[in-house]
Amino acid sequence: MRGLALVVATLRQVCGSLTGAVGLAIVAMVLACAVFAPWLATHDPDALDVLNRFSAPSGAHWLGTDQLGRDLYSRMVHGAAVAMQVALSSIAIALTLGMTLGILAAYLPARSERFVLIVFDVIASFPSLVLALAVVAVFGPSTLIVVIVVAVTLVPHFGRVARSQVLTLKSAPFLEAERILGASWPRVVFYHVMPNILGPLVILASMDIPVVITIEAGLSFLGLGVRPPLASWGSLIQDGYQYLSESWVPVVVSSVALGVATLGFTLFGEALRDAVDPRIGREHG
Amino acid sequence: MTPAQPVSVPSGIGAARAGLVSAPLVSMRGISVVFGGAVRALDDVSLDIADKEIVGLVGESGSGKTTLCRVLVGLTQASTGTVEVGGAAVAAQLARDPLAFRRKVQMLLQDAVASLSPRMTVGRSLREPIAIHNLPQQESLARLDTILRRLGLPPDVLAKFPHQISGGQARRVGVARALVMQPQLIVADEPTAGLDVSVQGELLNLLLDLQQEFGLTYLLVSHNLNVIRRVTQRTAVMYLGQIVEEAPTRQLFDRPAHPYSAALLSTNPVIDPQHRRTRIVLQGEIPSVVNPPSGCRFHTRCPVAQPRCSSEPPPLVAIAMKRAVRCHFPYSLDLQR
Amino acid sequence: MTDQAASPSSALVEIRDLVLEASTPRGTAHILRGVSLDIGRGRILGVVGESGSGKSSLASCLLKLLPSNMTRLSGSIAFDGTDLLPLPEARMREWRGRRIAMIFQDPMTALNPLFTVATHLVDVLRRRHPGLQADVAMQRARAALVSVGIADADLRLRAYPHELSGGMRQRVMIAMALLVEPDLLLADEPTTALDATVEAQIVDLLDQLRRRFSGSIMFISHHLGLVAQLCDDICVMYGGTVVESGPVADVLAAPRHPYTRALLACEIDAQDQGGRLVSIPGEVQDPVAPHVGCVFAPRCSHVRDACRTGIPPLRDSAGLRKVACIRAEEIA
Repeated sequence: MRGLALVVATLRQVCGSLTGAVGLAIVAMVLACAVFAPWLATHDPDALDVLNRFSAPSGAHWLGTDQLGRDLYSRMVHGAAVAMQVALSSIAIALTLGMTLGILAAYLPARSERFVLIVFDVIASFPSLVLALAVVAVFGPSTLIVVIVVAVTLVPHFGRVARSQVLTLKSAPFLEAERILGASWPRVVFYHVMPNILGPLVILASMDIPVVITIEAGLSFLGLGVRPPLASWGSLIQDGYQYLSESWVPVVVSSVALGVATLGFTLFGEALRDAVDPRIGREHG
Repeated sequence: MTPAQPVSVPSGIGAARAGLVSAPLVSMRGISVVFGGAVRALDDVSLDIADKEIVGLVGESGSGKTTLCRVLVGLTQASTGTVEVGGAAVAAQLARDPLAFRRKVQMLLQDAVASLSPRMTVGRSLREPIAIHNLPQQESLARLDTILRRLGLPPDVLAKFPHQISGGQARRVGVARALVMQPQLIVADEPTAGLDVSVQGELLNLLLDLQQEFGLTYLLVSHNLNVIRRVTQRTAVMYLGQIVEEAPTRQLFDRPAHPYSAALLSTNPVIDPQHRRTRIVLQGEIPSVVNPPSGCRFHTRCPVAQPRCSSEPPPLVAIAMKRAVRCHFPYSLDLQR
Repeated sequence: MTDQAASPSSALVEIRDLVLEASTPRGTAHILRGVSLDIGRGRILGVVGESGSGKSSLASCLLKLLPSNMTRLSGSIAFDGTDLLPLPEARMREWRGRRIAMIFQDPMTALNPLFTVATHLVDVLRRRHPGLQADVAMQRARAALVSVGIADADLRLRAYPHELSGGMRQRVMIAMALLVEPDLLLADEPTTALDATVEAQIVDLLDQLRRRFSGSIMFISHHLGLVAQLCDDICVMYGGTVVESGPVADVLAAPRHPYTRALLACEIDAQDQGGRLVSIPGEVQDPVAPHVGCVFAPRCSHVRDACRTGIPPLRDSAGLRKVACIRAEEIA
């Protein structure tokens, strides 16, 4: 299967650089935590043990406990799950929606295209946090809200890139060749346009993951994100920050988790982009 | 600007009405294409192509030869004029039964490798026409297999991607893809462009063989005059959106009537010093299509232009059986052999 | 080629056993497999080859503008006595644009879209003659444009590259190259991208200029007809090696290497009407694939077992010619 071989080859190239390998390792770790959270966690992240609040790291609680006695390590692991859920679902939605709108914009007549672009601009001009504030004020905080808000703010990003990709592609001989063979427009778009613009969009998506993680953490920090007691790294940081005087461990643990995850995805995304770009250059060279 | 009188002399309607030859497969009359209101890519062009004929189209940048091809295959809409293939207008055929038209008229684009979808294997690309036209699977795949063997494409090429195959192979893949639909007419845009001299002979032999075997009709565009001379039966020379000369190929090359044809043909560098002609070097640049010169469009660069040439645009006129020239003073640039 | 029997340094450039290898994901690519050739003083050498011949890489080697994935560059390039290969980059930079100039297939690679033609020309002049006064420089720039056949020189001086046509840009590039007053002018397919009638103009220009230009020219092309008309000497390359070289008229009239013969036989106008067109069966050797013996052997109709044991050396042949074929005399 060519796809699999390509993925493996790309990953191998990513590991070629130190930063890429480190990034890939961190990404793998975070994803493992996200997927296998119930098994990797030692305790139920919501289990209260008030008598043991702010206990230091020990055999029973590897990273200690927070202000309600909940195991910090388990909450951190589940935080990965939350971060990944939000990041991957919002990006997936934004990519699909953005790509669809971008393709339409490239093929629609000038007026309609301008309308789509204006919609993009309006959304893009809204800072995501302000939008989140507004939406949360109306609907209350929840994971779903965060996902939708973040997805909406990312749509213009993918939409514009998709559109410019399609525009460059429009003059490509193979699209004309397909037209000459008699291919209908839907066929051309599905089989010939989309596969060729997906690559750059996926790279973009991978580089957006750390951004979304941070946005989600930020929203949760402000209490506008996931609903407590769900363990988001952002809310962990908020809790730790509030009780900093009692113990510095929660804040440090959750900040480090957030920082390392963001760094890891950034390094991975960049290495991925580097791994793919020169290959594209060489493939066509 | 007075429009030129369109005359299609070679295998023309006149001959058809006289019952001498059957109606041409392709009949283009008075084709004009204007882009954005300003760029007159084609100006009142008429051309006929008989069934099973090989016609060559020669011209430089701005001549309109590519646009003419695109009009013929229905990619570009002509602003005025009619295009008929097989007796019916192209626009009507595309409206009524686009797939049938596409099966009848195919085009090979200049960049053979770029004509193939980059993320599809060659095999998949070859099966595209079968899928698009819903052709009977078994029969078509068998035919495809025969064609591939006929074209000398090894079976391992099917699993490769376009960027992994050579220009020559890509060209043959394009031909195979067109042939699977059993077309009547193939428009070939620079079929030997990018091919090394050592392999172009093979491709041309192939195109000629296929023409015999499948009874194909070709419109061949090439800037390689040797290819035109060797492969085509009749040639039209274009300049700035008009046909300036049309003649049987041998006659055109032996004695071009239009000064531009003479100059163009003389630019072909010849290896054997004994066969070298005097090179006619034209002055000036090719004028812009947006603002073509008045009168005869070639007069600004014509070495033998006269006062009449700058004021009066010459019509395309028959000067012999099957020959037409758009010039007030044809043969004034007669080359010494 | 200039007479080798005379002083050995009578040639301006003597390239000996030039090997260029680069690393690719699929392995090491052998781009040049031991190229040896001479560029005579004041002569025009046409370097002819098809895809994969390495002719463009040869030009890059002369300028030492090498690909970043290069792994090996060995041999010697003696330019007027100095071996260019061991020269450090700083010294090499002095050579480029001073003693060696180049014109490309695409003039836009040499022209900066942000600067006017005048700026380009004056820049070149100032590099050659530092401290040149502005008005003198402008005069010379103007004269340079006139010398390459550009009417309205004043108008063109003020123009930007994108405002000029292809042929015009090519003329500007030639003017720039000539202003360098180089000892060696490299021309890499300078007319390939031009329309036929414009190409004829540029070829005509080059023909006129060569009489006034005292340096040597290396003219790289895949077009045998052009080389036949413009050049004094010819060097035929295949698969990274030189297969034949000598005075152009001689080589093309009586080729001695099987590849040269086959190539000439493929030229369409040379063949009689009505017969089938000739081509060379097979494909050019993949530069990455390991190969022993003559690079042309797989496609040669005169091949023998001995041909596969080692790359045939480029040896002297009668009439100042060289051939790299062990059977050259037999086949003739």
